[in-house]
Amino acid sequence: MDELEFRRTLYADPNCTDERILAAIDEDPKKQAFRKELKQLDKDMDLASQVKVPDDLVHKLLLRQTMQSHRVSKVRNRIQLAMAASVAFVVGVSFTMWQQHNLLNIADQAIAHVYMEGNYALEAQNNVSLQQVNAKLAQFGGEFTEELGQVYYANFCDFENVRSLHMVMQGENGKVSVFVIPHDDAHNAESTANGRGYQSQALDLKRASIVVVGEEGANIEGMKQQLKRKIHFSA
Amino acid sequence: MFSRKQNSQASVSNDMLNKQKRYEVLVLALHTDIFRYACWLVKNKTVAEDIVQETFLRAWKSLDSLKDEKAAKSWLITILRRENARRFERKQFDLVDIDDVSIIDDQLTNEVEIEHRELRAVMGSLSEEYREPLMLQIVFGYSGDEIAQQLNLNKNTVMTRLFRARNQVKEALDKANENRGRENG
Repeated sequence: MDELEFRRTLYADPNCTDERILAAIDEDPKKQAFRKELKQLDKDMDLASQVKVPDDLVHKLLLRQTMQSHRVSKVRNRIQLAMAASVAFVVGVSFTMWQQHNLLNIADQAIAHVYMEGNYALEAQNNVSLQQVNAKLAQFGGEFTEELGQVYYANFCDFENVRSLHMVMQGENGKVSVFVIPHDDAHNAESTANGRGYQSQALDLKRASIVVVGEEGANIEGMKQQLKRKIHFSA
Repeated sequence: MFSRKQNSQASVSNDMLNKQKRYEVLVLALHTDIFRYACWLVKNKTVAEDIVQETFLRAWKSLDSLKDEKAAKSWLITILRRENARRFERKQFDLVDIDDVSIIDDQLTNEVEIEHRELRAVMGSLSEEYREPLMLQIVFGYSGDEIAQQLNLNKNTVMTRLFRARNQVKEALDKANENRGRENG
């Protein structure tokens, strides 16, 4: 190893542990002095490079991190709360919609009833008096307070497993089927429907619902309003 | 349901506690060296303090990515150097050159301080490419390989720079001594 390479290596790293360097140092006291000098320079530079750390730096470093984590956890709490709230909201809304979706549309059901029954009730020609109608309606706690006009048929029937009153009356244009159905939470009591040549409207009267089914084009709205006016339920 | 929530919250705060512990240990063990290194990197105490604070804040945020505690030092140096580089992206500070103002508190009047003032000025006058590897070697006791890895340089380059750095320091000191001798004589 020549002198230049030796110096370069030791200049680059005074604590060099390369065997050839160490061997060269062992042989030559001058080189030992050279290394000693360099190590002293390193020691001096180490001391000279010491910087007094500001007293409050540690506290600043620890404090900032505490503030930061505090802020982060606060934000995270808020986000969690918001998430929980929106999940609850979605659950609530979808449950309500699901329930409504599952409500029995009694207007639809009434059309189906009339259609499936065929002409049995529609062709009946009994002349039912108001007293007879009221006697049956009393089961539901209701009463017609005025004459209803011609009533061809009035009897109990099974309306989706609910005992209800089925009447056939003379409407403005043709016969109209009227159902009085006791109140049930599973019913969608304010609905309209049409199909199979019929149209129907349901009316919610709290204690019971009235469904009016007429042929398509018939004025069932008028009949519905008339019935609404004439029927009364005892409290 | 509620009890489970409490449990998970407890473990979360436990994690937080652990993280806090780790961070505190990190700060206490390394802030002196990191600050010293930052001072010599930017040659300005105030800026160095800012950068060190940014460095540790970033370290706190990504503390989970530090798997090996032994690597903490080089990890922090990497963050520090990135922070320093970012400073130039953001804004060019008016830095006072080390030749004009000593970065070390002049009010410290103990003998060592006076003795080393000259040496400090010489070290500060080294260009950054020489000063940085030299400080890594002296402050952190890094080997040539470690410096090469830290600075992303080839080892030969690092050794050459270290050689030139010491060479420049020695020359400057010798020259100063000569001048003093001449003035005295």
